[in-house]
Order: sequence, then C-alpha cells, then structure tokens
Amino acid sequence: MLLQPKAKNARSKRFLTNRAPKVVENAKTAIFVRGSTTSQVILDTLKDLYALKKPEAINFTKKNEMHPFDDETGIEFFARKNDSSLFAVGMHSKKRPHNLILGRTFNFQIMDMIELGVERCTPMREFRTQACAIGMKPLMVFNGEAFGTDPQLVRLKSILLDFFRGEDADMVSLKGLEYVITVTAGPAGANGETGLVFFRAYTTQLKKSGVRQPRVELEEMGPALDLRVRRVRQPAEDMWKQACKVPKELKQVKVKNISRDGLGDKYGRIHLGKQDINKIQTRKVKALKKKLDDRPAKKQKTAAE
Amino acid sequence: MDVSGILQEHKDRFRSVQVDKLVPVDFDLGHLASFDINLLDPGKLKASQKTRDAYLKEISRDGAQLMINELFSLPTVVDDDSVYAQLPKPQTTLPREKPLPKEKAETRWEKFAKIKGIQTRKHSRMVFDEESGEYKPRFGYKSAKNEEMNQWAIPVPDNADPYEDQYAKLRTEKKERVAKNDRRRQRNAEEAMATERGMKPHEMRKSQLQRALVMSKGSTASLGKFDTKLTGEPKIKGVKRKFDPLVGSADKEKSKNMDILNRVNKGEAKASLLNVRKAQRALGTNKQVQAEMNTKGKKQTKRSRK
Repeated sequence: MLLQPKAKNARSKRFLTNRAPKVVENAKTAIFVRGSTTSQVILDTLKDLYALKKPEAINFTKKNEMHPFDDETGIEFFARKNDSSLFAVGMHSKKRPHNLILGRTFNFQIMDMIELGVERCTPMREFRTQACAIGMKPLMVFNGEAFGTDPQLVRLKSILLDFFRGEDADMVSLKGLEYVITVTAGPAGANGETGLVFFRAYTTQLKKSGVRQPRVELEEMGPALDLRVRRVRQPAEDMWKQACKVPKELKQVKVKNISRDGLGDKYGRIHLGKQDINKIQTRKVKALKKKLDDRPAKKQKTAAE
Repeated sequence: MDVSGILQEHKDRFRSVQVDKLVPVDFDLGHLASFDINLLDPGKLKASQKTRDAYLKEISRDGAQLMINELFSLPTVVDDDSVYAQLPKPQTTLPREKPLPKEKAETRWEKFAKIKGIQTRKHSRMVFDEESGEYKPRFGYKSAKNEEMNQWAIPVPDNADPYEDQYAKLRTEKKERVAKNDRRRQRNAEEAMATERGMKPHEMRKSQLQRALVMSKGSTASLGKFDTKLTGEPKIKGVKRKFDPLVGSADKEKSKNMDILNRVNKGEAKASLLNVRKAQRALGTNKQVQAEMNTKGKKQTKRSRK
C-alpha cells in the first residue's frame, strides 16, 4: 500500500482535495498513449480522438511499452499519476494491426476495456470542413439493434458514451449543439460474430424550417473510423457494482402523498390519526360541566383564603 | 376562408423536420444520446465506401434531427442572450471514476448536538466592539478577546491578589484553553480511528498501551528479565507457527498448490501477490545490513593498510 501524501500548504491541499473522491465528480480525463510500435493509421486515430476529447485529455507523445490486456500495471500507473480514468492506447503489430484499446479505470484500477482494430481511418485533416470548437458536448447517436443485444457492443457503447460525454450538465445551450458522433453497428458475420462498427463525426448546421425545431444538415468533420472488435474485458461484477453506487446526497427523495393530474392540478393526501371521541371539544353546555367538588384542590384553597 | 393552401405553400418553402422511423428511438437526453434499434440496410453497409458513407450520413442526419427535435421541445431558460434547454436526469448508468467519499466520523460535540437538537447557525465574522467603537473579528487574530493581553493596563479584580501578574494569568489561561482544545481534537481523531477499525475507543487505547508497555519492558539490557513485575502485566505471547500435518488429504494439498500456481499464471496484480509493506521492510533491513557490512569492510581495509 502506498502512503497517502499529506498536504504541506494550502495550495497542495486544494490540489489533493480536488483529486480525492467526491460526491459530484470532475469530468473524466482521458490519456492517449502510444505503444512501442505504431502505424500512421493508429497515430492519426489517436490524434483525432484526442482532438475530440480535448480539453479533458492528455496526449502522450512518447512511445511506451503498453499491453493493458497482458499487464495492467503500466496503464494503472499512468492513470494514477494523471488522475485520469479513461485511456486510449494505440499500437500496431503483425498479429494485431492498427490496434486501438479504449478503456476506463475505477479507483485507478482497470475496470473494463475493449480492443478495436482500425480497418480504415480517414483523419480530420482530410475533411475540408471546419472542426467544431473545443470542449463542446457532442450528440451521440447509436444505430443498430446490436448495441442492445451483443455484449461486446453493449460494452463499447458504454465506454464510448463515457468517453465523449464530457462534464455532467443539467442545461445545454441550444446554439451549442455543434457536432454529432454517430456509431453504427454493421451487419454481423455469418457465424454471428460482431460486425464492423462505423464511427463518424459530423458538424451540424441548424437551418430554418418554418417550425420551432430547426432542420438539421450534417457535414462530415472526421475522424471516420471503421472498427473491428477484438478482445473485450468485461468489468468484475463487484467492482462495477461499487462504481455505479449513487451517493446519498444525489439520490432523489421520494415525494409521498403528492400527485398531479393531467391538468397540472396538485393533490395532497393527508393521513390523520384516529380521533379520540372522548377528548373531542364539542359545544359547551352548562349541564355537562364538572361539579364544584371535582375542581382541583388549588382553587379551593384560594377560595378559603 | 381556406388557409390550408397558404399553409402548404409556407411549408413547402422549407425542408421538413419530420423523420419517420418504424420503431420509436430511445433517448437519453441527460447524456445527449439516442439509441436507434431500427433495422439498417446491410446491403448498403457492405457496399463500396462511397455508398456506405452516404448511407451513414443519411441515417446520422435522421438520428441527429430526431434528437434536436426532442431537445428543442424541452423547457428552456433564457440567460445571457442564449437559450438553454433544461435536460432531464440521465438514464444510462455510467460508472464513477472513484469510490464514494468516506463519511467523516462525528466528533463528540457533533454527536451531542445531534441528540440535543442543536443546530449551527451562521454568525457574522466581524462583531462590533463597544469599547473601541470598531468592528473586530469574533475570534482569533485581532479579536477583542485576544487584544485584552495587549492592553497597557488591566484592572485588578476585587478579592484578587494585588501582586498577581494579570498579564501572565491571561497568558496561561489562553495556553490552557488551546491545550484543552488540542486534547479534544486528538481524542476525536483517536475515536474516529477506532470506529473505522471496528473497535471501541477504550479497547484500542488499552491495546496500544499494552503494546507500548511490552516494548518498553523489553528495551532494557536484560530484555526485561530482571524488571519488577507490574500488577496485571500482560503476558507476552509469541506467534505460534502452524504447520500442516506431514500426512494429510492429498486433495487439500493439491488444491492449495493449484491455487498458488493459478495466481502466478494468471498474472494477478503484483500488489495482491506481494505484501508490499513486508517486502519494503525486508528490503530496508537488508540495505541496512549491507550498509553496515560495507562500512565494516572499509574500516577493516583501512586498518589492514596501516
């Protein structure tokens, strides 16, 4: 076990508290790491994914001996050092050409990852369209039934959604819907193996339509990736369970006994305890009043005086 | 008057925002995501790159249009010349990056306040000091209470010893207060640690005290052999090593060995295979021993040269 560092001044204390577990977490940062051997295709892919993920991204420009599926220690070390929970590792070998590994960590330990072969990559620079501004939240569109049924693609969907969602937001500027990432599951192979996955990014243009909703036109921004799913590491059940816990502070409190009807009228239901009829205050009638003898002793005393 | 013609004409000037889908699309607007399970055209997806890309663009546009239709019909807020759509709560559960923060242990005061129903309320930091006619901090540096010590004269209270140094008295009182607060802080920290370990505070203190006692007993030249025994002194028990019987069930032995082999084979994380703290200690002592050996060696060589 590593010892927890102790802050020696206010600045480092602030830094450490920012890294400590929080109720509302920071946006997940991604590291982009090159393996010991790479190809131009994989370099382009990493570069463009980095451009999409900015500013919550750290690009590693030097080569590193990284094989997350065989040895987790390297990537976990980088994750801890950079306080990042997402990683993309790119490498190229004869056995696995143009290999891209996307994954995430929980508490600086690898939770799940997916290995993808990049069959084709058309980088951003080959598209003449202007790229969108940095740090925009993308619209994510997943096409294909396989994203709900194929466990490998379910994992890919979850990882990609986590990768590009950016900071949690409860409001979004309607002018800021600048780009769309679509992920399409291609037809499955003859033996039921997972088909190609098409990753595309487009910039949006919102045009007048005569109604409130604008007409959307797309222009391809890149990168355009055709991906083949290779190895998948599913998360350990207990780790996943731990990671999906919702803090007490963020859980919605169930509102009891208040309902609304279709017209927006509010109804409240009030529960009263059982009424005690013997103690109920009714009309005062002289005949029912208690007699003088029953009165408390104190009053009699004053009368005697 | 029939206006349908005019409406149609107006509509025809723009391209439609309608998208027809056989199966309605699932939205998770909290994450700005949509999941479309409609059947795709496998022919077009397997066709040449150009037709495939055109097809992908088409379905992407439809998906984006549907989501933007949905986003534009959400309730909005206008702020700084920009219109914001209020997003609903995300539906897809995505994992956290770090575990939930640990709950802080309650201090004795917090426990007491909870029982009594005492609630903290905000005080202003500065308080009006009538004596000086100024606003002064409620506590701490430059507060009215702290300034007392710096006054040029302090009235001697009635019935007090006239020769007593009032300045020294204030100073010692303050020191005592600080020390008391520090003791309480330490006690709270100890109790928090004990509850974290699932022990009772006094039990932990007792065990710590016993350990300290044993250590101090063994620190004399005779390792405590000739020390006077204390009443109720804990008996020192060494760790008893346990060995498996030489002859036992073969299955048990096999499973045990297989377990070790599997752990090594699987390449389990090094941290769990190795007791790092123990290893560090071993390494540290080794280094010490080596360093001692080295120095001894050097001395000896020097001597031999003489």
